[in-house]
Amino acid sequence: MPDLLPYLIGGLANGALYGLLALGFVLVYRATSVVNFAIGEFLLVGAYLTYTFALFLPLPLAILAALPLAFLFGLLVERGFVRPLLGRSVVAVIMATIGLAAALDGGVQLVWGPDLKYLRGELPQLSFQLGDTFVPPRAVWNLVLALPLGFGLLWLLRKSRYGVLVRAISEREVAALALGIPTARILAGVWGISALLATLAGALLAAASGVGPNLVFLGLKVFPVAILGGLDSVGGALLAGLILGILEALSQRYLEPILPGFTEALPFVVVLLVLLVRPYGLLGERQIERV
Amino acid sequence: MAERKDAEGNGMVLSVENLKVVYRGVILALDGVSLEVREGEAVALLGPNGAGKSSLVRAVAGLLPKFEGRVLDGHVRLFDQEATHLDPARITGLGLTAVLEGRPLFRYLTPVENLVAAGHRLSPRELKEGMEEVFARFPRLYERRHEQAGYLSGGEQQMLLLGMALLTRPKVLVVDEPSLGLAPKLVEEVMRTLDTLRREKNLSLLLVEQNARAALSIVDRVYVLERGRVVFEGDAKAAQEDQDVMEFYLGKEEVGFRQAKRYRRRKRWV
Repeated sequence: MPDLLPYLIGGLANGALYGLLALGFVLVYRATSVVNFAIGEFLLVGAYLTYTFALFLPLPLAILAALPLAFLFGLLVERGFVRPLLGRSVVAVIMATIGLAAALDGGVQLVWGPDLKYLRGELPQLSFQLGDTFVPPRAVWNLVLALPLGFGLLWLLRKSRYGVLVRAISEREVAALALGIPTARILAGVWGISALLATLAGALLAAASGVGPNLVFLGLKVFPVAILGGLDSVGGALLAGLILGILEALSQRYLEPILPGFTEALPFVVVLLVLLVRPYGLLGERQIERV
Repeated sequence: MAERKDAEGNGMVLSVENLKVVYRGVILALDGVSLEVREGEAVALLGPNGAGKSSLVRAVAGLLPKFEGRVLDGHVRLFDQEATHLDPARITGLGLTAVLEGRPLFRYLTPVENLVAAGHRLSPRELKEGMEEVFARFPRLYERRHEQAGYLSGGEQQMLLLGMALLTRPKVLVVDEPSLGLAPKLVEEVMRTLDTLRREKNLSLLLVEQNARAALSIVDRVYVLERGRVVFEGDAKAAQEDQDVMEFYLGKEEVGFRQAKRYRRRKRWV
């Protein structure tokens, strides 16, 4: 089927962004057991930051400038919203992130206004031909940035000293503290990385389709992606993102004509079906709990 | 402030003064406990379940908040510095490392990764040398160094914990019930290892144990804790000869059936 390929490529391009955002979400969840409901807003803020920088910097530099600020933003969120609630019930932190999400939603509109804006400048027009099909720059950039970052993060978590500490703290915080590990600082770093990933996803999304308050809706997609991949699997998040991106594209092409609007619901339907067979997601760890 | 020394001029490494520890504001775990560990010596803290031994360990290590506890009164001094409310990272930095009860290691991580986590403050070269030393000391750990630590046997896990403690470069080691759940032969091995480590590394040791016999074999002095209070204090030899310690912690010799019926020794301490 000749016209399938462009859809697949578009799907991969979207999927890369889903994966990136889900990566940020899963990282925090895995390290701290916190469900960050404000992850969509991280993306939003990141996109707007990039927009602002792009007003006076070439786009690639604007993105590079936004990233360290995003990291800082993540640190601030941890310091201001998560750490004060340490020791309280998990629900308390979740509520805090929901509140933060609402605050950021409004705050962003206060500062930048509610209209859709387009980024000044463009990413370098990298594109190529795959046989008959044209692979647009946004697909190239999304994949070129998201995939190495995802694998890099996996490597960081599995092999680096920092990753060992993160995994140790997330498994048994008291034991880590007893060894003198600075748990608060390390977990703050995780939030920073999460914000950085969300910002990159936001920047790429903005470069393709502009900045507006509606960007948050991508945040809703994070949950099916993360659950599909397995809530505690970093690799799963990336994989699930790509898979859902492709499935969405296919649904757009083949199902939309017969079932209009179904594509919106597709990620959730897919997750439902997969969970019936694999309750912990594609790559999640089987949890055995003692009662 | 001049360093406090005892009669022989040994510096005080760890000093607990009239410590009162409470959980959730209502459960009094320690009721005015005082003890001290001098430089280079090994001290045992004995007592039955619920005496408050682990609470003391947590208090000294700065971990009480994590267990919903706090110091109500009293002081903990480390190398003559006020350490009562320091956070655990600072306390480890000052040179006290606590090995908590229940073998608190990272079961989903491999022994190598456990050691890497413990050696978080070391430079890459120091870490490498430190790990080599641990594996040289505990060859069984080396063989299983890439398996998940949760699959190691109890004795191996205890050895791994001691190795991890070493990588934090301690000057004072506080070990909470290392013999728990171990076969007698392994208990002996763990005690011997602790003793060897202490001598080789010139550490001061506070050994908290329920297994009095095992602990007494390697320590210089003994405290006995019951219901949050110190009820006995003395050197190991005196402890082994004290009637009450012998009866309640070491076991008396067999008394005949008739004797047992009539015998009701009253505890001399409260």
